[in-house]
Amino acid sequence: MTPVGLEHYLVVSALLFALGLFGVITRRNLLIIYMSLELMLNAANLALVAFSRFNGNLDGQIMVFFIITVAAAEVAVGLALIVALYRKRQTAHVEDLTSLKL
Amino acid sequence: MNLFLLSHELCALLLGLLILLVDLWLPPSEKRKLGYAAAAGIGVLLIYSLVQFSVGTIGTQYAFGGMYVLDPLALFFKRFFLVATLIVMLMSVEFADRIEAGIAEYYALILFAMTGMMFAASANDFSTFFVSLELITVTFYVLTSFLRARLPSLEAGIKYLIIGALSSAFMIFGIALVFGTSGTLSFDKLAATLPQFAQNKIFLFGLLLVLVGLGFKISMVPFQIWAPDVYQGAPSPTTAFLAVGSKAAGFVLLLRVLFSAVPEVTKHWVALLMVLAGATILYGNLCAIPQRNVKRLLGYSSISHAGYLLLGISALSAAGQSAVLYYLSGYLFTVLAAFTVICLVMRQVESADVAELAGLHQRSPLLAGTMTLAMVSLAGIPPLAGFFGKFLLLKSVVEAGARNSGYYCLAFVALAGVVISLYYYFGIVRSIYWSKDAADLSAIPVSPSIKLALFGCIAGMLFIGIYPNPLVNWAGEAVKVLR
Repeated sequence: MTPVGLEHYLVVSALLFALGLFGVITRRNLLIIYMSLELMLNAANLALVAFSRFNGNLDGQIMVFFIITVAAAEVAVGLALIVALYRKRQTAHVEDLTSLKL
Repeated sequence: MNLFLLSHELCALLLGLLILLVDLWLPPSEKRKLGYAAAAGIGVLLIYSLVQFSVGTIGTQYAFGGMYVLDPLALFFKRFFLVATLIVMLMSVEFADRIEAGIAEYYALILFAMTGMMFAASANDFSTFFVSLELITVTFYVLTSFLRARLPSLEAGIKYLIIGALSSAFMIFGIALVFGTSGTLSFDKLAATLPQFAQNKIFLFGLLLVLVGLGFKISMVPFQIWAPDVYQGAPSPTTAFLAVGSKAAGFVLLLRVLFSAVPEVTKHWVALLMVLAGATILYGNLCAIPQRNVKRLLGYSSISHAGYLLLGISALSAAGQSAVLYYLSGYLFTVLAAFTVICLVMRQVESADVAELAGLHQRSPLLAGTMTLAMVSLAGIPPLAGFFGKFLLLKSVVEAGARNSGYYCLAFVALAGVVISLYYYFGIVRSIYWSKDAADLSAIPVSPSIKLALFGCIAGMLFIGIYPNPLVNWAGEAVKVLR
């Protein structure tokens, strides 16, 4: 059995990123879209940690800490916005976000 | 480490925290006035910056192990953001009666966004790059949807949130790939070792993803879809800040990445940059023509101005880079003047339709005159700032034409864009002066602080346009740090 190498991590990371992007494009519920976005961020985190481990350079792992912190702040603001929208419109679907037009 | 280097950011952050703290003890009726305190604080900081730091002697100094750099370029943009925030703050005080609760938080968030912008001006590493950009973006999610009882504001906030988060995800993945192939996050180390992996496909793909993330920030085609909706729905001071501050932060980061971190790769991407610049100019100008909502129209116009600014970047010369700085400065005064007028005139109305500007010259000659000057400057008519900025950008592109004849096509597209833009900018001027069906002719009260802001903007537009030399020299000095 071959040991798990950098390329395995990168393939998983790319798959996660693609799955997240697919979710953002196809899903219609804001919460699911937001979940998919987090998946994309974590795909990047996985790639950074793997690169960091295999290159023997800790900068990438420090970067991951920054990303996790920023992502937490982003989720807090994002969920608050989605809740505010739900209170106002009783919906969290992107089709209902159509008041801004020409 | 020398904390003196970070004094701009630290002071801005402390000012923001102070505003939040003082808010706890103030009675609700007094909270609005906190904005004046914040504006005064920014003014003091600006004077401090002019007295303590001088472009000639500052040199290039590093903090946080090279992650943060203070050089003339950073200093130029820090002062730029201070001036922009000062005017936005005065505008927000005027806007305060339309915000139901939490006006002090609104002021504080503006200051935090400014801190992020000033950090962005000094970013010299992908981690400071990312964190400062996110500090700007996350505060703008809140600022955009601050009128949360109003659906348009909320909707604009959610659209900005989803697209902003998507662009961050692209950017982080790009940073991960760049880090993986080059083994460093620092711009300086990247530039030093660049020849080893300048042909590496994964590295280039990562860099392209970073460019996508920045493209969202500066509303570059094809990542511009959010701009009109967010500009229309957001509170007017937020829109103004987004148009000036967020865009300028995107451009300073773009300049740093393209010319300080990966100059060799940028040379190979000339064609891409030229196509993006041309497409952005044409898209912004063509889509602005049918718009009836002034804020939405300015949203499309801001896309086209991102295109003009990209001209200077695609020219790949010091002249082009300094023209970008000059153009941004002119754009600052022009756009802030326009949004201050919109903020005052569209007070009661939800929609901000062009027709509501009708009869403005009778209601308030000062506001009408300012709006007209702003539109004339945006269109690029001499002697205002917008004209000389466009002239410098086009000049840098035409000069580069000796290297690559594609630049002549780009210059032609830019000129066509200017001609198209005359139509819709003068549509606004026409509805101010020559519109017959003015429903409301009551005078608009203009407070002294707003008068000060408006006169400042007018003086800025005229001074930069008529005496361009000091600013051109300063911008030329600032871009010397780029390669």
